[in-house]
Amino acid sequence: MHEPETLGDVLAKRGVSRRGFLKYCATLASLMALPPSVAAQMADKLTRATRQSVIYLSFQECTGCLESLSRTHSPTLEGLLFDLISLDYQETLLAAAGHAAEEARANAMRANSGKFVLMVDGAIPLKDGGVYSTIAGRTNIEILKEAVPHAAAVIAVGTCSSFGGLPHANPNPTGAVSVGTLMEKGLIERKPLINVSGCPPIPVVISGVVAHFLTLGTLPELDGYGRPKVFFGDTIHDRCYRRPFYDQGKFAKTFDDEGARNGWCLYELGCKGPTTYNACATAKWNGGVSFPIESGHGCLGCSEPDFWDAGSFYAPLPAPRAPLSAAAGAAIAVGVAAGAAVGLAGLYKRKKAQQAHTKLTVDDLETEKKP
Amino acid sequence: MSLRDIAVRVEASPASRIGGIRPILHEIRTLLAALIDTGRGGSIDLRSLPLSPADFEALDAALGEGEVRATIRALGETRVTETAIHGVWRVTHCNDGGEAVADLIEVCDAPEILKTHAADARVGLAKLRTRLEPG
Ligand code: SF4
Repeated sequence: MHEPETLGDVLAKRGVSRRGFLKYCATLASLMALPPSVAAQMADKLTRATRQSVIYLSFQECTGCLESLSRTHSPTLEGLLFDLISLDYQETLLAAAGHAAEEARANAMRANSGKFVLMVDGAIPLKDGGVYSTIAGRTNIEILKEAVPHAAAVIAVGTCSSFGGLPHANPNPTGAVSVGTLMEKGLIERKPLINVSGCPPIPVVISGVVAHFLTLGTLPELDGYGRPKVFFGDTIHDRCYRRPFYDQGKFAKTFDDEGARNGWCLYELGCKGPTTYNACATAKWNGGVSFPIESGHGCLGCSEPDFWDAGSFYAPLPAPRAPLSAAAGAAIAVGVAAGAAVGLAGLYKRKKAQQAHTKLTVDDLETEKKP
Repeated sequence: MSLRDIAVRVEASPASRIGGIRPILHEIRTLLAALIDTGRGGSIDLRSLPLSPADFEALDAALGEGEVRATIRALGETRVTETAIHGVWRVTHCNDGGEAVADLIEVCDAPEILKTHAADARVGLAKLRTRLEPG
């Protein structure tokens, strides 16, 4: 019997040096808010791991999630995701069609039964027997019922499969629900479930979850919404480079005023950063170019449940801002001096995000500011 | 063409200076002292800090440019420079569109990424053997 190919072998064949891989791990560590020193250990473990079998099913969705995942050509830093995994079934990327595609899924499931990670994007309609989304004449729920029992774990990719997303938005004409809801209702088998929300989710967060699985052999710790805390442990506001302006009370009032030009806080223009958990402020988008706030637009809150129904994207979060007290200002300064690597963000986030990890509200922020 | 070619730049206007660089300099000082005493320095992930473009410029100005400047080409460029403070390095990893994806201060004798890994050295040896084969 021949030894299964390790990731190190795969990478070497593709001409990726250990330097390249170390660099990839340094980027992942930065994103996971791990100390930079762990990058070398991660690289070492990953090169000795074998590729993870993945079956990817798409339901009521816009293909934005897959687009986000696959927009890079390899070998690139972001493209390394496709080296970590062996994507055994993904119908949009599959060359085969019709019966051959259906057979490919059945074969992939049989060959890797009990070992594959099932990635699901899109919500699942339940109304009228689930007829609003079918593939080869079978409803999404039927396909899922068949696949889940064979999976080692399920990753819900994107806000639709994590929380229902756009299909679930009021008035939810198709009765769309998330994968988690199906498990809660007992409509599909319960399996370890990780929600990687975002509309679309950040590609490197997906590879981070897979890397976590491969390096540590476990799934990452999850928050109250089933999202990996390493990526969703901080709000956008915690890591936002405009945050000091929020603390100083400097706000842009329109998209073209002096404050906007000076890069001041976008809170009053409707930024949902304070109540949104995601890694955009550090991972950024388009290969690290920027993220919405850096491009001058507030956060929409796309990784949170029901963000479509949470009122106008341009209305400020519903709570008055108390002026920053001198004592709170001093506390921030102490927080900074105590450890710059934890950073300016450190005041309330650790408590909130790492203890109960309940959703942070603007009221919480106001309370935190009071001495 | 990469996104970098689009002629829109974030301006580092003085009004966007946040003033968060002094604590970073203090932390670097602590790490450097540890490197001297124990042989173990450490790194700071600049991306995890809310720094404005103006802060980045201020940090670079405060640390200055030192004797070593290296470019590594592995899955995009990585720029490694020793700052004017010996033992304090800036390591910037870019993707192959040229955009920075990780930005670190490393306090060490030489950043890990500069060193040749044993596995790569073995690949090198195999290559050299092939080249020396007669014929
Ligand atoms: S409100 Fe928005 S723009 Fe302002 S600091 Fe928070 S996340 Fe950044």
